[in-house]
Amino acid sequence: MIEIIGVSKSYNQGAVKAVDGVNLTVKNGEIFGFLGPNGAGKTTLIKMITGILNADEGSIRINGKDIRKDPIEAKMQFGFVPDDPNIFTRLTGLEYLNFMADMYNVPSAKRLDRMQSLLQRFEMSAAAGDLIQSYSHGMRQKIMVIGAMLHNPSVWILDEPMTGLDPRSSYDLKEMMREHADTGNTVFFSTHVLDVAEKICDRLAIINKGKVIFCGSKQEIHEHVKENQSLESLFLEMTENE
Amino acid sequence: MNRFLSLTKTLLINSFGISAVRAKANKNKAEYLKILGLGLAIAVGVAPTIVLYCNLLIKGFDMLAPVGQEGVILTLGIVLVSTMIFFFGIFYVINFFYFAGDAQNLLALPLKGWQVLGARFSVVLCYEYLTELPFLLPPIIIFGIKSGASPIYWIYALAGFLFIPLLPLGLATLPTVVIMRFANLGRRKDLFKILGGLIVLALAVGLQFFIQKSGPNAADPAFIMTLLTDRNGLMNLVSRVFPSTRYLGIALTNADKALGLVNLLIFTGLSLLAVALAWAVGDKLYFNGLVGSSETTARRRKLTSADYERLAAGSPALLSYFKKEIRLLIRTPIYLMNCVLVNLLVPALLCIPFLLQSHNEQGPMPWESLTAKPEGQTILMAVIVGAAVFLVSSNGITSTSLSREGKEFFISKYIPLSYEQQIKAKLLSGYLFGVIGAILLLIAAIILIPLDMVIIGLTLIVSLIAMVPVLEAGLLIDILRPKLDWDNEQKAVKQNLNVILAMLCSILMGGGILYIVIRFIHNPILAALFMLGSFGLIAAVLYFLLMSKGITQYSKLES
Repeated sequence: MIEIIGVSKSYNQGAVKAVDGVNLTVKNGEIFGFLGPNGAGKTTLIKMITGILNADEGSIRINGKDIRKDPIEAKMQFGFVPDDPNIFTRLTGLEYLNFMADMYNVPSAKRLDRMQSLLQRFEMSAAAGDLIQSYSHGMRQKIMVIGAMLHNPSVWILDEPMTGLDPRSSYDLKEMMREHADTGNTVFFSTHVLDVAEKICDRLAIINKGKVIFCGSKQEIHEHVKENQSLESLFLEMTENE
Repeated sequence: MNRFLSLTKTLLINSFGISAVRAKANKNKAEYLKILGLGLAIAVGVAPTIVLYCNLLIKGFDMLAPVGQEGVILTLGIVLVSTMIFFFGIFYVINFFYFAGDAQNLLALPLKGWQVLGARFSVVLCYEYLTELPFLLPPIIIFGIKSGASPIYWIYALAGFLFIPLLPLGLATLPTVVIMRFANLGRRKDLFKILGGLIVLALAVGLQFFIQKSGPNAADPAFIMTLLTDRNGLMNLVSRVFPSTRYLGIALTNADKALGLVNLLIFTGLSLLAVALAWAVGDKLYFNGLVGSSETTARRRKLTSADYERLAAGSPALLSYFKKEIRLLIRTPIYLMNCVLVNLLVPALLCIPFLLQSHNEQGPMPWESLTAKPEGQTILMAVIVGAAVFLVSSNGITSTSLSREGKEFFISKYIPLSYEQQIKAKLLSGYLFGVIGAILLLIAAIILIPLDMVIIGLTLIVSLIAMVPVLEAGLLIDILRPKLDWDNEQKAVKQNLNVILAMLCSILMGGGILYIVIRFIHNPILAALFMLGSFGLIAAVLYFLLMSKGITQYSKLES
């Protein structure tokens, strides 16, 4: 579960308010989609949830652990897939996974099983011994996803996870997200792809200019949306410049 | 605008971060003050060294003027700068022409080889002017004022200043472009590139020795006589290290005569020729050395369960973070060249000239008389410790350890490893290479100086402790002002002021302690105890600062 309470963040000494008083609760057992146009504040909020940025105001709790007051415990609760998979490109895939497993204290026996099964599921077994530098964008994305899941966290935080994935892997990831949520866990992800959000999210929020302008379940979306109107047109309508 | 000029302008703006500073300053005017303050701090830091240099030059001038050899101070400055530019140039050219992440992006543009190479050459040239400034300006000004030089001298001096880097930089570019063309082959391109860089350096060092050795024996009395009686004979000797510098030396010392003009023309002609040659060769070979140089071959071999067992063995988080630091340092060519290999090269470079000399001349080393007396042993110990301290600060491993993460810094923020542990792992990675560097330095010292075992042991122990505060100071500086916003790795280590600041810290800290040792303590054991105590105390204080202020600041850092 993720609780975001009155969170704000501004840049340039308050001149630009990137996130403005956001309140959100992502419950256990749900896939929560986070939508918004470019520069709306999605990544800033995700960075605050994961401890990469400090919020100016408000608090964030992951499974009850406050990311500011109890950072290490809070960080142990989630697995994070960043929007840019071009990291540690001079490590091999396996070295990267090992590094992540060490960071999350995954015992050797468990990590072997988990690594092998995830690598197999994402068809990365043959590439694991090679440098990440030699991977395509999609393969890099896959290794990030595997790295985030190694310690079997109950909360998944995924920033644009489908970018660059081939249809097969994208399908697999969506399936895994569903399975994860259905077993009582939490999936929080940002996306630009409205179709994906519409299909797999239990609830979603739309953020624009730092403020959450819509938050609701699939059913609520349908109530909100006029007949024959798509999520796309709702999104465009809501995020239109005032 | 002409493509070449436009590219040069863009690369210059990008390299010096001009737009970035302007953008920051537009948002917050205090940014200008910050830059000014930093500049002042550095100026104050280097001022004592410059004053010392100027004093030496003035004394040198006064001593040499009666024998008509005052031109030596000019030639010395020119030779010193040319040699530095040549060696720095090789590093700059390898890094900036080949290793920089953006090097290949330009391949897709409709540009010719010489245009890209020339634009990059010009950027490196600007850096070299900055290198030149503190070393060449003092002799030019001192000679000019003291000899009551005419306006023509000042015009020639300006021309000299602008032209000096061209020849050494051209000479640094030529072999690099040729060797990199052939290094860009095979599967292990990163490795070949590093080997290529080392070959260029080895060639350069070899060439210097060849030139030095090919001259007459400096110890021959008849030769010394000619040196002293012949006007500017000494200048000719000094300039043998870089023969073309002789022409500029003559031009400046004879500015009012036709001889001066002729020599200036020869010097500028040679400089331009070197650039033309480097660019012409670059036009043919540069792109070939670059195309596909980022390709990485992969085996794509399915791992067996035995492989997994072997490769996926877990380690404690701190050790794992430390291993990651080491792997990235070794596998990133720019970091390997600038942070790791420096530790190996400096002791080797220090050793080679003396070794060659001792073989040829069989004479005693200048310091051999020191080893017999305790005062001498103390001085030698202090000098070796000082060298180790300086080496550790100049490799920049801890003073760029956050900076090197750049855009990846966010990973350090979201992994569940405390900042305390991360700081410790970063210190350890600096310490590992520091220890290697110190041991190699000591081996070089043992080869050169017949030290007894006790002194060797004491020197090693003191060096291992003395480097700790230096590493800590470097890391603290980098935590306080990390350079995370860069687009190629070179900017993280080569164009990072933190390395300079850390070096200044080490000079102040080490210099102070070693001064006290050399001046007041004449017993090696007492000296060792004093150094252990003082470096240890500073290490403890800095460790406390790192674990308190350092951690607080680390947690505030955002990427």
